[in-house]
Amino acid sequence: MRSRNPAKDQVAIAGTGLSPYSRDRQGVTAGGLVLEACIAALRDAGLAAKDVDGICGSTVAAQYVQAALGIPEVTWFANPPPVIGNQLVAAVAAVHSGMCDVALVYHHAYRLPWASRSAGKDALRRRATVGVADARSSWGTGHVDIGPASMWGAVAYAAWAQRYLHDYGYSRECFGRVAINSRTNAAANENAVYREPLTMEAYLRGRMVREPLCVYDMDIPVDGANAFVVTTTERARDLPQPPVLVHVATLGHTDYGSEEQLRDFDHAGQVVVAKRLWAASDVSLADVDVFYPYEGFSNIALAWMENLGYCKRGEGGDFVAQHWLKNEQRILIDGRVPVNTHGGSLSEGGTQGAGHLREAVLQLRGQAGDRQVQDPKVALITPGGFYFNSQGMILRVE
Amino acid sequence: MITDDELLDSWPGVRVDHDNAEHYRGMLQQRLLINRCAECGAWHHPPRSVCPRCWSNAVRAEEVSGRGTVAMLTFIHQGSSRAGVDFSNGYPAAAVELIEQAGLRVAGTLVDMTREEMHIGTEVELTWLEVGGRPALGFRPSGASSRP
Repeated sequence: MRSRNPAKDQVAIAGTGLSPYSRDRQGVTAGGLVLEACIAALRDAGLAAKDVDGICGSTVAAQYVQAALGIPEVTWFANPPPVIGNQLVAAVAAVHSGMCDVALVYHHAYRLPWASRSAGKDALRRRATVGVADARSSWGTGHVDIGPASMWGAVAYAAWAQRYLHDYGYSRECFGRVAINSRTNAAANENAVYREPLTMEAYLRGRMVREPLCVYDMDIPVDGANAFVVTTTERARDLPQPPVLVHVATLGHTDYGSEEQLRDFDHAGQVVVAKRLWAASDVSLADVDVFYPYEGFSNIALAWMENLGYCKRGEGGDFVAQHWLKNEQRILIDGRVPVNTHGGSLSEGGTQGAGHLREAVLQLRGQAGDRQVQDPKVALITPGGFYFNSQGMILRVE
Repeated sequence: MITDDELLDSWPGVRVDHDNAEHYRGMLQQRLLINRCAECGAWHHPPRSVCPRCWSNAVRAEEVSGRGTVAMLTFIHQGSSRAGVDFSNGYPAAAVELIEQAGLRVAGTLVDMTREEMHIGTEVELTWLEVGGRPALGFRPSGASSRP
């Protein structure tokens, strides 16, 4: 894997903003959530509309955000698909290459998303877009499988979780600790939608949804959004917040681009991400102070630990058990590195890794309140799962 | 009181959402509602949840006068047929700049005037039409309502 990384530490996150997560918010659009987060991020960075010259979001159009916030001129914009690493990597590249100086980056989660009513009445269009059993049909992937047994998305994650138990001889407790860790950490996060403690007994009794994953193994649907201000490190040093440097950021994908076609755990996008992260970085795993593995399905986090090098293939479950603080019901790697300090997708709320990124920024800035880790300098954030959206970034402060 | 369900039923095929619902609800009552900021007074259109001038979220759909000036104009000679639209002589499509704020424009057709009277700069006022079975904005010469 190549090590070339000219953008290393040259681009920084200068601000972050949140549209608070909610399970029951009324009367808001996805766009409205994004605008709240973007305004908060720009205020956090001490910047105004006229300072922004790049916009990069997920599915809410950059042009909408520009008009709504009265941003007079931009020279770069993009709407890569979710998840947040796609937006961050694009913005880092755009800032580093000079296409823009200040990029506004955002991603939202919106409960019960819908298309237009006219599209909903068009049977062929309906089949080809979101809301059908196999949403891959909208990607033009030549799929042939249709629900409910389609190995798509959540179903496939459950099936791979079963494969993990089968191959390595674990019981469900290995996933349960990931869920409990998130819940324990969420207690100190006022933005988390689930903060009451979760016991292993309760986890094992949890409503089974797709075996072996129960209701506690899957991310919580919320309304919410996160935004980030990305600029040059040089510019960020003149802004109010401590610059959070993007040391390396990458995406990773293999040619096994369908869930059931993934050859094995060694051929997931995560493996590519890990190779690139460590090849392009000046820091090593031992330098990481806070760790944010995506756990939208709990088994994903175990795979991240294995792929990033905390342990070998199949040892993720044992690794978590060995680094488990029984009295505190949370993971602390080597007695030092906490995992998903905000409660992750399983307890703060599911925003596809954007919440993980925001928490890493706050921790590195020393602004995480009651859950602040002592003086972290290096954060490792790995959004995404196995197939389409594996990605990783190492952030650090000077 | 128009419920959300009634609102959606009245606008089939239209992306009515929480940001523009009041605008569409107003149209059903023949009221042109435009979002205005309660903090700084700025108007914006189409409706969004935040004021683009001051970033306040205290925006409200407020009725406007419906008076303004033709700022942009074209005549459409072809399109899918619908009740109330005649393409044979060119169907007028105008953007009218409302008197409430410079640059605040809404789109609609022009009525009750000759082709020669239809030009950029014509002062107009709102009248309500039915196009394709739904309420639609029309603009007629200013003061037409008081003409005999």
